[in-house]
Amino acid sequence: MDIEQRPLSANERIKESSRFLRGTIAESLSRIETGSLADDDTQLTKFHGFYQQDDRDLRAERGRQRLEKAFSYMVRMRVPAGIVSPQQWLAIEKIALERANRTIRLTTRETVQFHGVLKSNLTPLMQGLAAINLDTIAACGDVNRNVIATADPSRGGLHEVVATLARDISEHLLPRTRAWHEIWLGEQRVAGAPVEDEPILGRTYLPRKFKIGIAIPPQNDTDLFAQDLGFIAIVERGKIVGYNVTAGGGMGMTHGEPETYPRNADVIGYCTRDDAIAVAEAVVTVQRDYGDRSNRKHARLKYTIDTLGLEIFISLVNDRLKTKLAPARPFKFETTGDRLGWFNEKDGRSHFTLYIENGRIFDRAQRRMMTGLHRIAELNVGRFIMTANQNIIIADIPAASRQAVADLLAEHGLDDAQGGLRRNAIACVGLPTCGLSLAESERYLPDLITRLEAEADRYGLGQTDITIRMTGCPNGCARPYVSEIGLVGRTPGVYNLYIGGAHEGARLSKLYRRDVDGDGIVAALSPLFAAYAEQRKRNERFGDFVIRAGFIAETKTGLDFHENLSPDLRT
Amino acid sequence: MKTAPLLPKTAPFAEDQIAALNTVISAASVEQRAWLSGFLAGVQAANDPRAAATPAAPPAKRIPLTILFGTESGNSEGLANAARKVASKLGFAPKVQDMADFTPAQAAAVENLLIVAATWGEGDPPQRAQDFYEALLADNAPRFEKTRYAVLALGDRAYAQFCEIGKRIDERLAELGGARITDRIECDVDYDSAANGWIDQTLQRLSKEAGATDTSVIHVDFARGSESDANAPTRAHPFHAEITEHVRLSGSRSTSETYHIAVSLEGSGIAYEPGDALGVVPHNDPDLAEAVLAASGHAGDAALRTALIERFDITTLTAKQAEDFGRQTGTDVPPADWLHGRQVLDLLERAPGKLSTEQLTTLLRPLPPRYYSIASSRKAVGDEAHLLVAAVRYETHGRQRAGVASVDMTERSHLDGRLKVFLRTNQHFRLPADPDRPVIMIGPGTGIAPFRGFLQEREAIGANGRNWLVFGHRNYLHDFLYQLEVQDWIKSGLLTRLDVAFSRDQPEKRYVQHALWDARKDLYAWIKDGAGIYVCGDANHMAKDVHNALLHILADQGKQDEAAAKAELDAIRRDGRYLRDVY
Repeated sequence: MDIEQRPLSANERIKESSRFLRGTIAESLSRIETGSLADDDTQLTKFHGFYQQDDRDLRAERGRQRLEKAFSYMVRMRVPAGIVSPQQWLAIEKIALERANRTIRLTTRETVQFHGVLKSNLTPLMQGLAAINLDTIAACGDVNRNVIATADPSRGGLHEVVATLARDISEHLLPRTRAWHEIWLGEQRVAGAPVEDEPILGRTYLPRKFKIGIAIPPQNDTDLFAQDLGFIAIVERGKIVGYNVTAGGGMGMTHGEPETYPRNADVIGYCTRDDAIAVAEAVVTVQRDYGDRSNRKHARLKYTIDTLGLEIFISLVNDRLKTKLAPARPFKFETTGDRLGWFNEKDGRSHFTLYIENGRIFDRAQRRMMTGLHRIAELNVGRFIMTANQNIIIADIPAASRQAVADLLAEHGLDDAQGGLRRNAIACVGLPTCGLSLAESERYLPDLITRLEAEADRYGLGQTDITIRMTGCPNGCARPYVSEIGLVGRTPGVYNLYIGGAHEGARLSKLYRRDVDGDGIVAALSPLFAAYAEQRKRNERFGDFVIRAGFIAETKTGLDFHENLSPDLRT
Repeated sequence: MKTAPLLPKTAPFAEDQIAALNTVISAASVEQRAWLSGFLAGVQAANDPRAAATPAAPPAKRIPLTILFGTESGNSEGLANAARKVASKLGFAPKVQDMADFTPAQAAAVENLLIVAATWGEGDPPQRAQDFYEALLADNAPRFEKTRYAVLALGDRAYAQFCEIGKRIDERLAELGGARITDRIECDVDYDSAANGWIDQTLQRLSKEAGATDTSVIHVDFARGSESDANAPTRAHPFHAEITEHVRLSGSRSTSETYHIAVSLEGSGIAYEPGDALGVVPHNDPDLAEAVLAASGHAGDAALRTALIERFDITTLTAKQAEDFGRQTGTDVPPADWLHGRQVLDLLERAPGKLSTEQLTTLLRPLPPRYYSIASSRKAVGDEAHLLVAAVRYETHGRQRAGVASVDMTERSHLDGRLKVFLRTNQHFRLPADPDRPVIMIGPGTGIAPFRGFLQEREAIGANGRNWLVFGHRNYLHDFLYQLEVQDWIKSGLLTRLDVAFSRDQPEKRYVQHALWDARKDLYAWIKDGAGIYVCGDANHMAKDVHNALLHILADQGKQDEAAAKAELDAIRRDGRYLRDVY
């Protein structure tokens, strides 16, 4: 391998010289003449949980106005398994209103993003989170990101187990540096304290981002095959005995660079419940030691595995384990979606899964999400669980409060039903704030779905669950390559259309139309809906149907994602 | 103290004579130099056969006259200087005094006193006149039994407390035993002819009472800068300046609209200094003029329409206008609180179509010019002046209202590409003569304008003094006026320090006074290093809040009580190191 001979990427130098992620962030914060950070610091602050962005809608006018770009920050919380108390929710809302753009954005990693945060508001925001025992450490950056777990509280004790594991893994893999506490909370460095080190992540941290998910079959709401590392709960007699381990999932690719590709994870074995953290550490350290630090487009674990070969990779992991991985156990996933609406427990408790379009919480005239959730949180009962589908579950509502919650949901327009496409839709943030976005996403998908649902209705598919996901760029934050319909931005108004991902998330999709606009998307999908309505077998999913009917070839692994295209799409 | 030599080496004197003259002249006060200049002119005139018909006045027997002004915008000062010219011609020995540098005790020792007093905002004295005013109203004020006096009050009828300060000074001087030369005159914003007429008559009367002989006196021109240039554009004869740049500085999502407007002064004879203001003669909104025409029953009168657009004030409303209108139309006079937030149009609509053309034009006040602090230095931009203009728009009583000049300049004037301008100098807002002296510039909103001029000037002359800018507005993202230039100033080292306060970016309102307080330690150190403090912007709130913040800082950092802090700030002001340009 020639990886060692190639020069390290610029980010490696930045990490190396950052004094454990401190860089010159503190000085950057003090430069009040600019809303931006020093260039190197913009890389380091990701490890502190936030990205520098600018409002791309305003770029053209700003130069004329003798203003710099409209810089602001996207700040992401770390909240393993996405569970917060009603009191924490109220504090999060207050932060969004006072320090951000007055919206709360739920993400596919079961957490909250604050958008439009000014540099001057970063410190108060961090301190506000610290006050409710939350933080933003490692929410972005070349580290283990927020750990997600099946969010469904109706899975009883199982949910508690996976949520606890998510928290434990997150803590175990957290950077050890006190940089975050020093910069944002003013913590003083203790004289004579032990020399800082990062025993697991290493002083240059990981080569690239690293994502871990946990799922309890048949629910694959956490999209395990899109995660770098996944744990599939194996349940015997109502208890989790251990986990099948998945590795090497990942969505990101670059248009026009076929050596980059989305990859669905491999199941690499089984571990007991007690060994899960050791397995996580072993996989992370193999990636730390073998990942590509020269080319960031080739640095995710999925490429490490394909470069090493799966068997070698597994043996490297086993070398680092006291108890080797056992053969995987049988499991069966059925869906990646959330079960929306009410669920009543036998003991009188109930849960309500609230659909949040694109995860964006704010007050619309008809759906007053922000106020409704505020009023429900004020009841101070149960818990709020953010899902990987960008919805929110009001969990563990005592019987005595169920009617009050139901009334508040109705009062704020939050108990309406959604169509089969909309309730299974995910969009990334996209324009105007995401610097990577090539096309609209969150601001556009709702309108497109209105048109597509009209088509689906024509063929009686209005209530059929079909996953549809849109991203503004090919990096795939909304996991478009494992959905039944995927739309990936190319340029403003233009998308690549992918179909044939598995409904339960285990199979990648295939490019079906290149460079289509809204009309083109509707024109391409409408006949597929017609054919599906007419020819589908009992319980056959749309993603499976389009392969059986020959509209596209099945994608078996990431390596053939770009292969077997219809002749007119070959380049 | 360094004094710049006045006579050039090329003067027609021997080198030692030049040195000797320089020694005397450079150390002379303004008055001494003026006297000398008048004296030499007299000598010259006496020896000039062409001037034989107007022999030099005998230097003795002139009546002393003190012309005391209290000014905020410069209008009172301008009138005081005009009065001095008239007084000189009438054989007085006039002396112009700023209330800022004068006490009632000194005033009480004066035999002949002419006062020009402005009222500011809601019945306040000009800031620099405040001490004089308060001392005059205090119980221990001196008696004025040996003083003859007259008061010229300036005000704006659009405010309820019209000419309040002049009125109270006039009444107070009478209480204290002063003898009125003539009744007080109260002038509105169109004060020119009335004020000059009154000055003339008052001085004539005083001249007779004081027994002066109406002898010809050599006219001494005290005027400075462009005032001395007879051809310089004036309010009555403004220069039609071409707009060379018209850029919106506030972002499209800003809650305000602020524009950078550059005009060419080429050929105008206007030679401004940083700190000066440009007077702009605006036009009214043609749509509003049409509405006034319609409401007064003169729709279609083209000549009247032009007059309403170009010559008359149709956007304010005074109690006097309401009374006159009620009398003329036989309608009820609306109560005073009805006037608040209303304009002439609202009044006319109470009885539409009832006024003749002449009644309408008599009812209306002349359209006053507006003044904008110049945001540039000629050393940096050449024959241009840059203005920073915030478009004023608001709604009252169900009508959209717009600032006359600001909206004219930002929306209409640039259509035909010209602005009517003239210079108003402001001697009270100048950079320190010493380029090494540090300056602290506090200018939120459009208050940053003169400081851009200051910084350009200091950069152009290579001044070494440290520069500290305190800026504020509503939103950092959309209202950081000249942000890229500020960044350049910091990068080049021209701007030593920047502090900002944006009021709407966080739950608590943050203003420049809070930024000052946060920086109090360094601020105090700068003041102790002799820094000049400059404040520009809103007079009603900001300037007062900043003033209080400065007092608190002097008390806190100087470990002294409030009275001592006030005394210190007064001393700084008297020293010419605390200057304001507020509006």
